[in-house]
Amino acid sequence: MIPVDFDYYKPESIEEAARLHEQLDRQKMLPLYYSGGTEIITLLRLDLIQTKAVIDIKAIHECREHILGEDYLVLGSSLTLTQIEERNAFPLLTSVSKEIADHTARNKITLGGNICGEIFYREAVLPLLLTDSLFVIGGPQGVKILPAHEAFQQTMQLGRGEFLIQTLTRKDFLGMPYMSVKIRQQWETGYPLVTIAALKAKGEIRAAFSGLCSFPFRSKRMEDELNRKDGTLDVRMDRALRHIPAPVLNDIEGSAEYRLFVLKNTLTDILTVWEVEQNA
Amino acid sequence: MNIIGKSVIRKEAPDKVTGKARYTDDFSSAGIYHARLVTSPFAHALIKSIDTREAEKVSGVRAILTGEGLPLTGEEITDRPPLAQGKVRHHGEAVCLVVAEKLDKAALAASLIKVDYEPLSAVNSPSQAYQAGAPLVHEHVEHYKRGQNVYPEPGTNIAHKTKIRKGDLSRGIGESAVFVEGRYSFGPSDHAAIETRSCTAEIRADGDVLITSSSQAPFMIKKLIGSYFDIEAGKIIVKTPLVGGAYGGKASVQWEFLAFIASRAVGGKRVKLRYMREEDILTAPCHIGLDATIRLGCTSEGILKSAEILYLFDGGAYADKSPDLCRAGAVDCTGPYHIEHIWCDSYCLYTNHPYPAPFRGFAHSEVLFAFERTMDLLAKKLGMDPLELRFKNAILPGHTTPTQVLVNKSNVGDVRGCIQRLKDIMEEEWEPNAGHDPRKVRAAGIACVWKNSTIDTNASSGVILTFNPDGSVNLMSGVVEIGTGTKTILAQMLAEKLRLPVEMIHVKMTVDTQTTPEHWKTVASRGTLMGGRAVMAAAEDAIRQIKEIASCALRVREEDLDIDSGRVFVKAEPEIGLSFKEVVYGYTYPNGNAIGGQIIGRGSYILRNMTNIDKETGAGRPGPEWAVGAQAVQVEFDTRDCTYRILKAISVVDIGRVLNERAARGQVMGAMSMGLSFAGRETFYFDEMGRVLNFQLRTYRPIRYGEQPKYVVEFVNTPHVEAPFGARGAGEHGLLGMPAALANALSIAAGVEMIHLPLIPELIWRTLQEGKR
Repeated sequence: MIPVDFDYYKPESIEEAARLHEQLDRQKMLPLYYSGGTEIITLLRLDLIQTKAVIDIKAIHECREHILGEDYLVLGSSLTLTQIEERNAFPLLTSVSKEIADHTARNKITLGGNICGEIFYREAVLPLLLTDSLFVIGGPQGVKILPAHEAFQQTMQLGRGEFLIQTLTRKDFLGMPYMSVKIRQQWETGYPLVTIAALKAKGEIRAAFSGLCSFPFRSKRMEDELNRKDGTLDVRMDRALRHIPAPVLNDIEGSAEYRLFVLKNTLTDILTVWEVEQNA
Repeated sequence: MNIIGKSVIRKEAPDKVTGKARYTDDFSSAGIYHARLVTSPFAHALIKSIDTREAEKVSGVRAILTGEGLPLTGEEITDRPPLAQGKVRHHGEAVCLVVAEKLDKAALAASLIKVDYEPLSAVNSPSQAYQAGAPLVHEHVEHYKRGQNVYPEPGTNIAHKTKIRKGDLSRGIGESAVFVEGRYSFGPSDHAAIETRSCTAEIRADGDVLITSSSQAPFMIKKLIGSYFDIEAGKIIVKTPLVGGAYGGKASVQWEFLAFIASRAVGGKRVKLRYMREEDILTAPCHIGLDATIRLGCTSEGILKSAEILYLFDGGAYADKSPDLCRAGAVDCTGPYHIEHIWCDSYCLYTNHPYPAPFRGFAHSEVLFAFERTMDLLAKKLGMDPLELRFKNAILPGHTTPTQVLVNKSNVGDVRGCIQRLKDIMEEEWEPNAGHDPRKVRAAGIACVWKNSTIDTNASSGVILTFNPDGSVNLMSGVVEIGTGTKTILAQMLAEKLRLPVEMIHVKMTVDTQTTPEHWKTVASRGTLMGGRAVMAAAEDAIRQIKEIASCALRVREEDLDIDSGRVFVKAEPEIGLSFKEVVYGYTYPNGNAIGGQIIGRGSYILRNMTNIDKETGAGRPGPEWAVGAQAVQVEFDTRDCTYRILKAISVVDIGRVLNERAARGQVMGAMSMGLSFAGRETFYFDEMGRVLNFQLRTYRPIRYGEQPKYVVEFVNTPHVEAPFGARGAGEHGLLGMPAALANALSIAAGVEMIHLPLIPELIWRTLQEGKR
């Protein structure tokens, strides 16, 4: 039950959406872009966000595109996680996505919603950060394309009225060796203590994390330490852990010390597998 | 007839599997009003002011209620205002109630009410509540009305204390050579039924109060509303449709009071109140927490001699059922063992936590967690196999229970039989570590369980049978169908007794207190015993009437008649007889004369020889019988990560005669799943202010399908002589030993004693870390 009334718009083009947003913003309607709606419904129900108008972007053609082209995989921001999993053009993304929420929820949760949402795990962004994907963003100034690491820094860096239209991932990344592991407080359901997505690109390890800090991230400095040739795995890992970019979360899912314990074990497992493979 | 024991499909199954089954919230009517709560964000605070001005402006708002002037409520101690009065005592406590024409307007208005609180320091555990000088949750407990067997201690947080004094503890200690002591604790948690609590209330022009509620206790609703609000009992009519999961959480009466006062405030219009999930977790009563200390002594051969026990139950902010839970935990304060010398103090303490309702097992899985962990400590110290220690000490006919009830073959099941069978199954089912992963360790933990039901000594159950023109029967019992299939079991009993196909038994699924005979409460696995005995009595009554009419029509003696397959006939010449349909509406002679009239069978049952337990020694007969069991859990533990998988969970339960094989297995298995969920994951996390941090299902996560182990369920069949067909209670026992068995398995696997719940990997890791220091 959502106690407040709000207006609902369903534009069919990027321009129309941006124009609507500008107009509603001027009218102090606190507009929100709306895609799967799972989070907006959740937060409105609890009176944790305010809006008087939502702009559903699901009718915008570009937001629904799902194309494996010549050079890029195009993923519209309004594709549901289930659709992305079923097509499975990007196995690492499938693997991360499959662990988000549950199947029924993933039938509604969209790629863009997961990345742009308020609930801070935003695990779907991890594979996009690892593959240096491009983010296509629409807004009052038209359409722009930004590299993932610029578009997403802790949160989506969206200006007023901007929204994520689609992501572009270079095809050569799609087939690279990958691993993703989500460790929870207990068993198979719940938010992550830590989710690690890792990719091996031309012999170099890339790793991105969610659940460790209050935002998902990929750290170049951590990767550099992990990829150093000197020192045992343990030593390299300890050096990498010094570069965690923010305080480690300490909440009801798990303490900071325990999260670090889990992180270290999980990272060890990933690196061990790859290094054993390399040496074999 | 051979209907008893058969896996008859539940009478309500077609409606449930097609989604047509209707629950309280599914009933609506034009013009119904809606109520929404404003609840406390604090665990303990003074209410300085309540500003409803903005809320009153919302269109369609018909009433805004606060606690002022409302009577106090509470089953054991009347300490709880339906809406807070001047003070809130737990997070989520109901403070205001808005009634509006539309639900969204009620919710909007509720969000606009401004309550000014002055937070107070919170009592955050029963151990803290027990300490001298702890802040008082209730300043003047002596001012409250209370039941005759409840003993609050003024000037403390003690809401009730139960004492068990059996034998002579100092003698028991003197006879003991080996001692162990363990301290255990776990916090409150939730029932998490799929259907959140829901109720509609209406007061008709003639003053009749109509309540429909998702409840296990419609007859208690009727009594309590009558007594608190001074309404004649006959003017209160309570209906319960199907209930979507209860687990004890709907045995408490709370939301019904709110719906009633909401309706009263709007001139008796029909008002619906449905708890949001957050309210169902915080505002509605929860599952009790416990701090326990147990000291056991035994001879060097492992014969138990002494048990010294302190239970501190987390009674939460209001007493309601918690003194009863505290008493039940004391009555069965040990496992199912013969111990001559027992000393137990079981306290129910006020805290600033949500207050407890019954929870499947009624304090038994809670105390058994502590007791059965201690049994494992003892086995370890003795160097004895944990099964053997339990087998040696198992309670047998001739022994006495902690409340000094003499055990016979009927009133307690076969503990040794269960242990023996469990041992065999564990050997058959044991899967050793495949050996390829040196990090993984496999271990099994066990627990023995028992449970009696400490219900009111005068609790009763009634049944009415009417017939249809085709000779089929309508069965009306006050047992609520809470998902356990009890109504189907009653139909099977009736079919067996009347020798009719079960398809000829029509069960009234819903309860209506005006037309359905009373069944005390649908709790404590007592539906089959009490409801069943009432069915048998009603069937006998109907058979007697059938024979009476037939004897006249056939000109034979009643004792020469028998019944089968819908006929009443002469035993010696079965071809001479009448079909039920020729009799059940009276017999009509060819010339038109009629005799007999319609047959109405009636039956009732009241528990016999129950006693209140003695205040000083606990001696007494608090319930009719103990069902017993032995359980095991096998885990695979990762010694590096401290994570684990539950591979298998095994239950051997002595449920007497099995009435419906699949239904019984389903009950035991479901209870096991619930026990593992409670043991492995479920708890409220509190901050230092006593606020619950996980009051949504995204952070409060019961076990999900796919996370469960392989379940193995077997039965031992020692009849309870007084029960219909010798059946024992079966709804709860699967749960009872799961927390202890899981903790025992993990303690063995991790090599460290696990003393808290839930058993999440971080807890194991932390316990290991502390051990290293």
